[in-house]
Amino acid sequence: MRSSKRNGGSPAWLRVFTPYEPKFRTDIVKPPKFEYYAPETLQEVLEVLAFYGEDARVLAGGQSLVPLLNFRIMQPAVLVSINHCQELAYLQQEESGLVCGALVRQAQAERSDEARRACPLLAAALPWVGGRANRNRGTVCGSLAHADPLAELTAVATALDATFILSSVHGRREVQADEFFLGDLSTCVEPGEMLEAVCFPASGPDASAAFVEVGNRWHGFAVVGVGAQLEFEPDGRYKSVRLAAIGVGGTPVRLQAAQDILLGTRGEPDALSEAAHAASAGLEPPGGFHADAAYRLRVLPTLIERAVKQADGLRNAQQGD
Amino acid sequence: MMNDPMQDHANGSVHRVEDSYLLRGAGMFVDDVPEPPGTLHASFVMSPHACARILGIDASAALEVPGVFAVLTGDDLAALARPMSTGIDLPGYLPADRDVIARSQVRFVGEHVAVVLAADKYAAQDAIELVQVEYEVLPASPTLEQAMAAGAPAVHGHAPDNILYRGEFSSPGFESVHAGSALRLTETFRHGMVAGVPMEPRGCLAAPERGDRMVFYTSTQIPHLVRTGLAEHLGCPESHIRVVAPDVGGGFGTKAIFYPEEIVMAALCLKYRRPVKWVQDRREELLSNIHARDHIYQVEVGFSPDGVIGSLHLRLYANAGAYSCYPFGSAIEALGGARMLVGPYKIRHYAYATHAVATHSAPAGTYRGVAQPACCMAIEGIMDRIGRRLGLDPIEVRLRNVIGPRDQPWTNVMGLRYDRGTYRECLERARVLSGYDAFRASQPADRLVDGKYRGVGIGNMIEGTGGGSPAYKVRGMMKVPGIDGATLRMEPTGRISVYVSHATSGQGHYTAFAQVAAEHMGARLDDIAVFEGDTSSTPYGTNTFASRGAITGGGAIIRAAEKLSQQVKRVAAPLLGVPEDRVILRDSHAMVRDAPEKAVGFADVARAAYGMVHTAPPSGDGYGLMATEFYEPPPLTIANSTHIAFVAVDAQDGRVQIEKYLIVHDCGTVINQMIVDGQLHGGVAQGIGEVLMEEIIYDENGQFLNASLLDYLMPTAMDVPDMVLDHVDCPSSDTLGGFKGVGEGGVIGSVAAVSNAVADALSGIGVNVNRTPLRPGYLLALMPRAARPAAAQMI
Amino acid sequence: MEEQEKTCIELSVNGMLYRAQAEPRLLLADFIRHEAGLKGTHVGCAHGVCGACTIQIDGCSARSCLHFAVDVQGSQITTVEGLAETEQLHPLQQAFKECHALQCGFCTPGFLMTAQEFLRENPEPTAEQAREAMSNNLCRCTGYVNIVKAVLLAAERMRRMPASEDA
Repeated sequence: MRSSKRNGGSPAWLRVFTPYEPKFRTDIVKPPKFEYYAPETLQEVLEVLAFYGEDARVLAGGQSLVPLLNFRIMQPAVLVSINHCQELAYLQQEESGLVCGALVRQAQAERSDEARRACPLLAAALPWVGGRANRNRGTVCGSLAHADPLAELTAVATALDATFILSSVHGRREVQADEFFLGDLSTCVEPGEMLEAVCFPASGPDASAAFVEVGNRWHGFAVVGVGAQLEFEPDGRYKSVRLAAIGVGGTPVRLQAAQDILLGTRGEPDALSEAAHAASAGLEPPGGFHADAAYRLRVLPTLIERAVKQADGLRNAQQGD
Repeated sequence: MMNDPMQDHANGSVHRVEDSYLLRGAGMFVDDVPEPPGTLHASFVMSPHACARILGIDASAALEVPGVFAVLTGDDLAALARPMSTGIDLPGYLPADRDVIARSQVRFVGEHVAVVLAADKYAAQDAIELVQVEYEVLPASPTLEQAMAAGAPAVHGHAPDNILYRGEFSSPGFESVHAGSALRLTETFRHGMVAGVPMEPRGCLAAPERGDRMVFYTSTQIPHLVRTGLAEHLGCPESHIRVVAPDVGGGFGTKAIFYPEEIVMAALCLKYRRPVKWVQDRREELLSNIHARDHIYQVEVGFSPDGVIGSLHLRLYANAGAYSCYPFGSAIEALGGARMLVGPYKIRHYAYATHAVATHSAPAGTYRGVAQPACCMAIEGIMDRIGRRLGLDPIEVRLRNVIGPRDQPWTNVMGLRYDRGTYRECLERARVLSGYDAFRASQPADRLVDGKYRGVGIGNMIEGTGGGSPAYKVRGMMKVPGIDGATLRMEPTGRISVYVSHATSGQGHYTAFAQVAAEHMGARLDDIAVFEGDTSSTPYGTNTFASRGAITGGGAIIRAAEKLSQQVKRVAAPLLGVPEDRVILRDSHAMVRDAPEKAVGFADVARAAYGMVHTAPPSGDGYGLMATEFYEPPPLTIANSTHIAFVAVDAQDGRVQIEKYLIVHDCGTVINQMIVDGQLHGGVAQGIGEVLMEEIIYDENGQFLNASLLDYLMPTAMDVPDMVLDHVDCPSSDTLGGFKGVGEGGVIGSVAAVSNAVADALSGIGVNVNRTPLRPGYLLALMPRAARPAAAQMI
Repeated sequence: MEEQEKTCIELSVNGMLYRAQAEPRLLLADFIRHEAGLKGTHVGCAHGVCGACTIQIDGCSARSCLHFAVDVQGSQITTVEGLAETEQLHPLQQAFKECHALQCGFCTPGFLMTAQEFLRENPEPTAEQAREAMSNNLCRCTGYVNIVKAVLLAAERMRRMPASEDA
């Protein structure tokens, strides 16, 4: 991906690059020519990817990729559609966690009770992803592989330290979230590889989660978002705290310091406030016309408090308190 | 002479006739118009630079793309079409003419530098990627502030300081009154650049017809003005061009402009004698359609200790963009904002200095409201500030200044006559209906309630509607006629066809104008069919913008209906066996007054008139059942309303929620209440967008940073609250039909109400809000960190 | 640049099969409009934001400007032209008309496709739910107030209709 001046708050492919060198055409909306393959098995997908290497892109939901093609910001010579590869549509709970194959649509995961039980943070974040029409076709893995730093699902993967399963004709390898996301729209997926599935670690039966975000309009793209997933001791103290944010860095940020402070507490006001404010340390959020770095830093503690309170409140509601 | 007043009116909230086919997806927007075989598709190559010389264009690679027919540059087009010149006749006005495709220099990002014609759109896009343009990039003045700075690069050589127009006005004795003010207050209001952004981008399809003729489909609000413009620029007779506005997917003034692409498409059609088609994509739409409201209002007001304004001074700078928009010119916003600032208030001493400033950005033009939203924000903001200064409720300040019933008819300090209005009544009624006093009474000093700053804002407004010829000539707009026309024709079946010189883009003309015609013809609504947008069948007129539809379309229809009614009665009288003056028209029948059982249907009258019966037609001079009339409205008809908005600003994230919204509205005689309400809803939504989230952002190099709908944010359903709409009935004393305009009031009042509400919400903590947009990031930065709810306090 | 190979694309739209020779890059919106000749689906932005191009793929709302026709073969495409099964308007269309929920009509087909899916899954929505469901389509004319009203009115009427008249 070309280097870009950070503008934050919108996908990199719409950001303006250095002066006098606008890197995208202002006048194109029809996609460029490409070769099209629609394999019906994973093996065939991998073979095509192996053959074309970096000239090929995987087409799943297309909600992130096709705009780039329409504007010709990306001009892959080959598109490999996995939309007819039903074997990639698996969504199931395994010992390691909730495994989501590459063709699992966001709406499918949103509707799945099994997914909600296994991974409440995923269920909490999905309604924030685009709109219904985007979620009907967009895939969980697709959003992650696109790695837009403002994609809600990247925060989910980061908070939960998801495992990414990358496949190629040479076999499979597994990568954790912090190795997967390299930067703005950049992941460790190599040419010839695809993200076959993602595994969200299993959470306890009483886990509860929330996702909150703010933007410049009541429905739309996040400027900053925070996902929180909590697990509880019998006495209500937090046994596990998972927190991550989008919009405060070039990649989703795991809010480790805040997690550490909240662990073992019941989310009391003082603890929550301390944790929320500790989260900002060391962060260098991007700027840009949607929101500047100062706003992102200022609003982050608020979102952390809201997300934790909401998750905590849900647990209480479940308990019938 | 009107028809029988006892007849049932065809007024009221009639469902729209347009809807059935639109709902089925059977509308015909410009991209839906059937393409004749052999249609070539055009795409434009756009400049990526704000200011540059074009050194050379190499289209050889583009021409190799299969399906490409031709590539033409500005020089090629210059041989076919004259440069665009608005011909504004205003002392001191400097033109900012434009080549239809740039020849030697580009002046904004997105300006066209070449056009590709190809067999299909995909091939055309393949080709434009391959057109090589060599530029010499030059320093630019893209923003208003940059263009006004000393030594800034000039957009046009003959305007070295970038001032295309400087207008001044000073009422007699202003200086001494202003100097002698007991109290004075100044404020600068900065309104950000926005655009209309209709959901349907522009486009046109030009196809040759027999001989030298051409039919020109274009997504426009001004088909007749386009036709005149094409004839002028191409040097061909108007009669050879038929312009058709098909279904138009929103206009909002963005499409009330004659654009260079229209000239290019028509020129190419004539040159190649082939159909050619071009439809904008959204990026082009944002980049090159007219922008608006990038304004600075420096206001100074002199007032008495009881809040009565004695004098008002304005210095206004309006960004006019790189070229003047056709037909309105570069000064449209600069003059509009200056002339409407006094609003519905009895301000007797006023002076202004207004400036249209050229910048290296897209041309500015007439987006719904045309400067009025911004200047209303300014004057209403001044009212609030007077209140804050004096410790007076801002509504009280307004009441002490507003034109009341006994002050009317009012002629304002600029000499503009306001016909009968309800300026005070709407304000008082809005105050009561909205619960304003109770809200004020419960408002804490710091406005902070439950973690949100809560405020109320008022937009007490007038709008100038239905402009007649003098309104445009006084501003030098020689190409805007001011009149409109209607032809009413009774067909042999007795149904009535109505041809109006308007062009609807969603305002429901096919229904509203049918209602007017039905009422004034004594016809059933179902017997009326309205036609618009086709220059070969509709009379010449100014077409549709500036809230003129009801006034001038309605007025012309009323006149033509009067004439046609007379014709119908003349034919019907002998059929009924009574003199003409005893014939009345009702329910699509001609009947005898006081003996309605003696009636003859319109169909019978028509057949008699067209000689399709045995009886001889009435003797005497020509008969026929067709009447054309033109109507010149008063110079300007003032409509008024009061908007009140209640907002909550989140103290922790800066987001604004509109909790309650109310409008008390006077648009004179109402044709269709449902349509009026719809216009208000839509206008308010745009106003909310303008205040809270919309902004066109050019960086210091003139790059348009947010030219997509992801980045130019517009309101969705979650941003627009339910609204209470209340109407006051006060027909205009000056217009035929008593109509006042309504199309723009929604946005004019809401920009003031919402921005003032936010300002009120934050006034308790000493924050001054005087600009748009008010994004969360901007607002939060103004708020002190200490103001957090008690829940969690940090050291 | 060589001519690209065209491929045969067969799509079922509103229950009717359409076949065309086209490049793989032909967008579904363009197939619907130009190959199937159904002009009710409109292109407002080509980047999936405005929603004017919304149709249904196997009953699920989707942005036709973000799909390639060749890639959705095998699915049932529904457009606004398929909404009213008879000469009568679908209850949603009727409600839109009565509530003045459209002005220029350009965004309307997209809203109808979105609303139909929404009501199928939420036959008794609250005003808030309806408003949220409509927030992924842009309208510049109506200010949405009447659109939300129309959706709620249609919901009420459809609840009173005999079952399964609308799918």
